[in-house]
Amino acid sequence: MIPSALTANLTAICGPDGVIVDPDRLLVYESDALTAYRHRPGAVILPRTTGELRRTVREISRAGLPIVPRGAGTGLSGGAVALGGAVVVGTARMNRILEIDAPNRRAVLQPGVINAELSAAAAAHGLYYAPDPSSQTACTIGGNVAENSGGPHCLKYGVTSRYVTGLTIVLADGTVAELGGLGREAPGYDLVGLFVGSEGCFGIAAEIEVALLPVPEGVRTLLGIFDRIEDAGTAVSDIVGAGLLPAAMEIIDGPTIRAVEDSVFAAGYPTDAEAALVIEFDGLEAGLDTEAGRAAELCRRAGAREVRSARDEAERMALWKGRKKAFGAMGRIAPDLLVQDATVPRTTLPAILKGISEIARRYDLTVANVFHAGDGNLHPNILFDRRNTDELERVERASKEIMQICVDSGGTITGEHGVGLDKKHHMPLIHGPAELDAMWGLRRVFDPAGVMNPGKVLPDGTEPAGGAVGRGQGRDEAAGAGVSASGGRGEVAAAGDSAPGGRTGVGDSPRGGRTGAALSA
Amino acid sequence: MRTGVSSVAAACEVLREDQVLKGESARAWMAGSGRDRMPGASPATDGSPVAVDFPVSAELTESADSPEAVLFPESTEEVQAVMRSAIKSGVRLLPAGSGGWLGAAGWGREADAIVSTALMDSVVHYEPADLTLTAGAGLEMAALAELAGRSGQWLPMDGPGCAEGTLGAAVACGVPGPLQGRYGGVRDNVLGLEVVTGDGRILRAGGRVVKNVAGYDMVRLFTGSRGSLGVITRVSVRLFPRPGADVTLCFRGGVDEVVAMARGVCTAEFPVAAVEVAGDEEAAGDGGMVLAVRLLGGAEEVAEARARTVAGVGREPDEELAGGDSAALHEARWEEGSPVVARLAALPDRLGDVMACAGRVAGVVGGEVAADAMRGLVRVKGSCAPGRTEAVAECVAGARAEMADRGGSLVLSSAPREVVEGVGWGGWGGGGAGLTARIKSLFDPHGVLASECP
Repeated sequence: MIPSALTANLTAICGPDGVIVDPDRLLVYESDALTAYRHRPGAVILPRTTGELRRTVREISRAGLPIVPRGAGTGLSGGAVALGGAVVVGTARMNRILEIDAPNRRAVLQPGVINAELSAAAAAHGLYYAPDPSSQTACTIGGNVAENSGGPHCLKYGVTSRYVTGLTIVLADGTVAELGGLGREAPGYDLVGLFVGSEGCFGIAAEIEVALLPVPEGVRTLLGIFDRIEDAGTAVSDIVGAGLLPAAMEIIDGPTIRAVEDSVFAAGYPTDAEAALVIEFDGLEAGLDTEAGRAAELCRRAGAREVRSARDEAERMALWKGRKKAFGAMGRIAPDLLVQDATVPRTTLPAILKGISEIARRYDLTVANVFHAGDGNLHPNILFDRRNTDELERVERASKEIMQICVDSGGTITGEHGVGLDKKHHMPLIHGPAELDAMWGLRRVFDPAGVMNPGKVLPDGTEPAGGAVGRGQGRDEAAGAGVSASGGRGEVAAAGDSAPGGRTGVGDSPRGGRTGAALSA
Repeated sequence: MRTGVSSVAAACEVLREDQVLKGESARAWMAGSGRDRMPGASPATDGSPVAVDFPVSAELTESADSPEAVLFPESTEEVQAVMRSAIKSGVRLLPAGSGGWLGAAGWGREADAIVSTALMDSVVHYEPADLTLTAGAGLEMAALAELAGRSGQWLPMDGPGCAEGTLGAAVACGVPGPLQGRYGGVRDNVLGLEVVTGDGRILRAGGRVVKNVAGYDMVRLFTGSRGSLGVITRVSVRLFPRPGADVTLCFRGGVDEVVAMARGVCTAEFPVAAVEVAGDEEAAGDGGMVLAVRLLGGAEEVAEARARTVAGVGREPDEELAGGDSAALHEARWEEGSPVVARLAALPDRLGDVMACAGRVAGVVGGEVAADAMRGLVRVKGSCAPGRTEAVAECVAGARAEMADRGGSLVLSSAPREVVEGVGWGGWGGGGAGLTARIKSLFDPHGVLASECP
């Protein structure tokens, strides 16, 4: 529970519908889509406008409570879990598309807009929003910004950060900053790029400007059926090697195929197959058949027993169904599911897949693989029952080993789901102390007092000693202490604001002479 | 605040003598073309000045402000040693690649020494089937293009300087070219980098996989930071299959006609790779412009896009370039390194207004205009005679106010000192400035890295 005075203040800002303190209603917010982590928040606040968001954040921050930003709660890394009674600031009511500017192929929206709804609205102008995470019918663009979300089509089109062109953000002390923007160049660093993927640790995006693309006029979708998963991997490499650039290449392995076919989502994949490869080309109609034909031939040469091709939209949806519904289907064969998200160099895929199945065998676990093969982004799903404590322990050990072999191959621990709470302890697998220090420093640049989403992304116990400066102190002193992680020498270069007549409220913080005052401690 | 020569000498001492150019040789290197100027090309193992046989800009050689030395470390550890020595002795460093832009652009005037990564040019890892390449920052873009080309691949970075500079400089400058709409900008295709930060630490950000969200995106922060946070020593990039067909259609006309055609192509329902507008060399002097529409893809796709472009514009192109000629046209267009370079930006549908404003600036600097119509970015390059600095500054200030009124910006990326002192490098006065200064302090707490340019 939060103090009643704070509840009253927040109710005055957001209205009674925007403040949730009833313990029963808070239950809904105790986890995100990774249900292994459950913590009930102190309260959930749902502002409607940038002004309300700004005042909400300032009130909570002044009360000394941590803040956890939340979109639709579809995240898969525990990033939206409220640790230690933190207050969730949700964007569910900030769900308006503010502008679709067709001549400039851009849109401006509030963070709570659902990903698929943006594309639906843009369709009237022949445009769409390219990043398409599997949860796109539920997840919000604000959440996508926080996680730098991917999706099946980022093989050709890239991830969220390529499409975010400008942001209005609310910082931990309630100040507002405008970053970037199409058609204007700002001095300084790529703060938009830095903010995207910061997992709610830097602030909350209040308005988002994104680039839209023209809807491709033609699409060709193929489904290759393989008896050996290595052959599907070979087909992927051969297609890339032939100079083709499909919009998507996705592999579904045997256990996943059988899970899907046993469920209500049955897509007509042969249950004795060991891999299904979905390949999609898009663009101008002219040339698509040639490209799809070449890809089909390469699949056959790699050993596909069958290559299906969609003749219309209904058939296309059917070919995709097994891929899109894989997670839902797996939920039906085991009570719990641990989804991993490592990315590896594409050429190492066959060896990694072999390694994963060997680890699964050794720990007597079922692992079902669904992955973005074109990007080398794996999603091994370990199926288990959390009530079986022995199995739970084996899952944890297997999970760690899988991550290790991916890192050893030159890969990384997360390609699109984010670090959140779930993978922060694995960060030292890929980052040394200097990198972790630098990340702590950046976090403190945006959030000197450590208000935003504490306990996420960066491992516990790695914060440099200087970084704690400013915590729990007056907001004014803390605001200038963003440089502390560099060693706290107190030799802060002039942090003067070079922007002529800055339009924003970043200037609410003291600057110049007082900058770094907190460092002398 | 500049330091004495002895401090610079201390920073030089961490390298062998043949890795350092001093005095006249250093200034000559800065003012030269950037090629064939490495110590290795004209060995000076005894530490004596390297012979200079190319023209040197008078402003640089006569300026007491020019850097005292150019340092050529050969490894990340040597860069780190230079950085630590500079911190200790209070020397200000300017990171550079082959130095191609330094002489003209007016950067580094506050630096005591240049750190060039030109000798760190080895390819560390290239796996064509992964479409990724990792190399030392000093790898020349031309060498990278040649290597990738052997596997039918390319790095579609076509920003200014990308054709002839180094990989590290292209990433540090981070200026995207007209292919951004099709392939993403520089920042979208850098997968990882290694950097020696201004506090003397070695950081490795990102990796060599195309999707990576493990921690905050420091790759994007360092890309485009122009050496103000550290010296980039190694880069991993994403490559693409080189499209089978590369065609550029050129349409000539007056500025209004060409801008209207460009907007038509930019808003058509089919995608094109790049849309540029530039002064027409064939019709120099009479205000003639040319629209260059670049089409990339498979042969059938490009043929179809060509037919639709022609139908949309309403006439056959005046000229059509294919293959290498098509690519070369675009590379030449975006060369930078002129004494005055201004970038004007606004939303793409204001292209006509921006072109008019750019035209007025071009009139004063006696220069040329080139536009990336897809992004609404217009570049003016020209020159500024010593007695004209006031007039140029006044013109820039007026154009900048005009751009601000349209919600856009005007940034100088190269200009004489007096002009910059008068009007600043510029840019949209957005709200990131306070954060930017704090980030600068985080990675360069001692102010070792000189970087004046936005």
